[in-house]
Amino acid sequence: MNRRHSPILVLLSAFCLLTSAFGLPLYRDSLPNGLVVLTYEDARLPTVAVSLVCRSGAACDPEGKAGTAAMMADLLTRGTATMSGDSVKSIVEFLGARFSGDADDDNCGMEIRVLSKDLGTALDLMADAVLHPAFANGEMEIARSRMMSGARRIFDNPGSEVRYEFMKLLYGDHPYGRLTGGDTLSLPLIKREDLVAFHGTYFRPNSCFVVAVGDVVRKDFVAELQRRLAAWTPAPVPAPTAEPLGMPDRIRIKLITHTDMNQTYVEFGHPGVRATDEDMLATRLMSFILGGGAKSSRLGVSVREEGGLAYDVRCWFDRNRLEGGFHATVQTAKPKEAIGLMLRDIQKMYDSGATKKELELAHNYYTGSFPLTYASTRGKLGQVRTMELYDYGMDWLDKFPDKIRAVTIDDVNQAARDHLAPGKYWMVVLGPVTKEDLGLTDVEWIE
Amino acid sequence: MSLVVAFATPASDIESRVFEYDLKNGLHVIVYVDSSAPVASTSVWYKVGSYDEPLGHTGISHMLEHLTFKHTDVYKPGEFDRIVDSAGGNNNGFTSTYFTAYYENFARDRYELAMKLEAARMAKCVFPDSEFASEHQVVSEERRLHDNRPTGELWELFGATAQLVNPERNPTIGWSDDVRNFTVKAVREWYSQHYGPANAVLVVCGDVRPEDVKAKAERHFGRLKGKPIERRDYYDVEPKQNGERRITVRRRVRVPSMLIGYQVPGVRDSAWYAGEVAGTILGGGETSRLYKKLVKELGLATSVWGGSGVSRDPSLFQVGVTPKAESLIPRIEQVVQTELDRAGAELASEREMQQVRNQVLAGQAFGRDDMFGMAYWLASNHILYGSWRQVIEYPEHINRVTAEQVRVYCAAHLRPDNRTTGILVSAKESK
Repeated sequence: MNRRHSPILVLLSAFCLLTSAFGLPLYRDSLPNGLVVLTYEDARLPTVAVSLVCRSGAACDPEGKAGTAAMMADLLTRGTATMSGDSVKSIVEFLGARFSGDADDDNCGMEIRVLSKDLGTALDLMADAVLHPAFANGEMEIARSRMMSGARRIFDNPGSEVRYEFMKLLYGDHPYGRLTGGDTLSLPLIKREDLVAFHGTYFRPNSCFVVAVGDVVRKDFVAELQRRLAAWTPAPVPAPTAEPLGMPDRIRIKLITHTDMNQTYVEFGHPGVRATDEDMLATRLMSFILGGGAKSSRLGVSVREEGGLAYDVRCWFDRNRLEGGFHATVQTAKPKEAIGLMLRDIQKMYDSGATKKELELAHNYYTGSFPLTYASTRGKLGQVRTMELYDYGMDWLDKFPDKIRAVTIDDVNQAARDHLAPGKYWMVVLGPVTKEDLGLTDVEWIE
Repeated sequence: MSLVVAFATPASDIESRVFEYDLKNGLHVIVYVDSSAPVASTSVWYKVGSYDEPLGHTGISHMLEHLTFKHTDVYKPGEFDRIVDSAGGNNNGFTSTYFTAYYENFARDRYELAMKLEAARMAKCVFPDSEFASEHQVVSEERRLHDNRPTGELWELFGATAQLVNPERNPTIGWSDDVRNFTVKAVREWYSQHYGPANAVLVVCGDVRPEDVKAKAERHFGRLKGKPIERRDYYDVEPKQNGERRITVRRRVRVPSMLIGYQVPGVRDSAWYAGEVAGTILGGGETSRLYKKLVKELGLATSVWGGSGVSRDPSLFQVGVTPKAESLIPRIEQVVQTELDRAGAELASEREMQQVRNQVLAGQAFGRDDMFGMAYWLASNHILYGSWRQVIEYPEHINRVTAEQVRVYCAAHLRPDNRTTGILVSAKESK
């Protein structure tokens, strides 16, 4: 890496220093164009991971063109104005590096992981991708084929098919209802100009941030980014908007009968919370107690450990920028019994809440396991990314255990009452079953 | 370009962090010290897996793995997981062909708790009939998860077609009929035969002091007794293949899949390293020969991968392809074989050889990032190769492989009459 420094940058950049729980420094800088740079210096291994995150994802895909953000992000790593996709991959794979682009509902971006001696090359590739992406037709058609294959494959696996059908019911026309990777109708419609437009509109320094974790020196890293990305210009970036999700007035079920299966897949739930909601931590703790693990949560004990009805059963709340969902899932040969126990346990959590003992266990789990969640490079990258994405503040990593401990039993039980809605579910049942097999009453069947 | 590769992670660095010894009862202990994060991963690896299971009892190691979480003389059902959760840890177990392993990841000040739990698992498990019955249903549900994944069926039947005798052909979870017929008596016997200190490896990785680990290991495992098990060796059991084998799986799928396998040497044969290099050149990543030909140049497939398996016995070099359409499968088979034939006829370029070496070195640095990953690396190498030192010797072996050795390997093994082809294609759902 070129160690040339920029004294001007230091004057311009407002930074803050956090001493993490591991005694490793985490810096937050801003380049003159508004790009935020988070550097987590961790020299224990000769590697660096750099993630460039754009705060716009599949929720910003053009109408009818689901998959645009994902295809755009993928193609960022597949060629620029001066370098073919083959040349980029040739450099990356020769170094033993990993370079990929991807999108989720809220974000898109790229990530590169290299030996630290190759960081300069990595930043060259990344900056070229940001500033001069080619979106070449040949690479685009290959990406389209790959994504079409992925979209078709959803129906080859009952786990992905049941999720797809549930998300359609939960979200309808909401931006999160689009498949991140696109579907077989939308993918053929995406044109090169859609990718160029998405990149031009959303991929702006003021709407992106960079996280670097590993054998890197903050001062040098920030200077090197500034040198490469000074020409990247800011612009206003529109944010996705959406109407609140509708809550079903009762259980509304879609039954998909596949007679060639020997097990039934079930997913149900309703609208949930936002990642930035004040009671998100209380909601997470409540959800953990209810169905956070296949074995020790309430659902795990009743459905798996005592009932022997399933290998895996769980529930969770999405953590997204817009309103996410509450999900409960199980795969079982006895859906009537398993669904019955799950509905009962959720109702009980809503009615009576958690116990102090359960909350104590949840406190211990979250605070005790916190060091595990960011012990690795990937873990650190993920935690810093989450911190920045949802504006949790630079003290978030440091204060997380205290914040967990501050959640009271009243908070958890209030979260249960506020965010669980027993009896008001979208539900998808997929397997070798009939309506009669499920024995559910007072429900509406969706044909 | 220089052939001399500077190690990204010097061997001496790993070597200086590893401490290895046996307790008097035969428990092998490996400690890896890394103080960069205040965490420790503790795991116990039993040298038993699907490789050791006779027909009629396939999957019993996995069934036993489930039951060891349920009930011991020390802990009541469910207590094991609750203790780990309340101490802020995560834990799990898994069964593979050659081993059954259990781990607990904790903050560094709690790893002794993991040893306490694992010592109970090693010697104090009890298997009440009621617990067995309930967990038997859970494992049956897990078996059904496999049944309902069409690609899973392709994998299982492909493996059983390519290998006719070696128990590697059996799925780790067990064949459905065997899973249905598990008995608690058989599980108890399997436990008493295979779970003991002389058939296990304790691995502790993380922010720990070796002398503390030793004292704690002695405290919790030192009094346990057990005899070593002589593992049956199936090294030479597979009949010579004298012609292609084929299998077709018809399921309700929209995307076809292909698996192509060739009988090749396992890790105990020095030729295996040439297979590692050949696998990366042919099917590792988007610059590999097969990806460039099938995906980029001819547009016949959307993905392709290839490589040799990590197996003690002669095993399979595999190529996996996602065709764009079923109708393209015959053409893809031709193209794959043509590329493999070319690899058996021409030397790989120096750039291709160097890329493999670079990837191995980078992979070694990335692989040390996670303490459980490190434990997996050390223990699996100890069990498969006989020593954790394979972790540092592997790059040296790869560096010594020549382009001519790669060519000879491909010519000798990647031949049509040594091939098994499995395809997954669509079938209409019966109503």
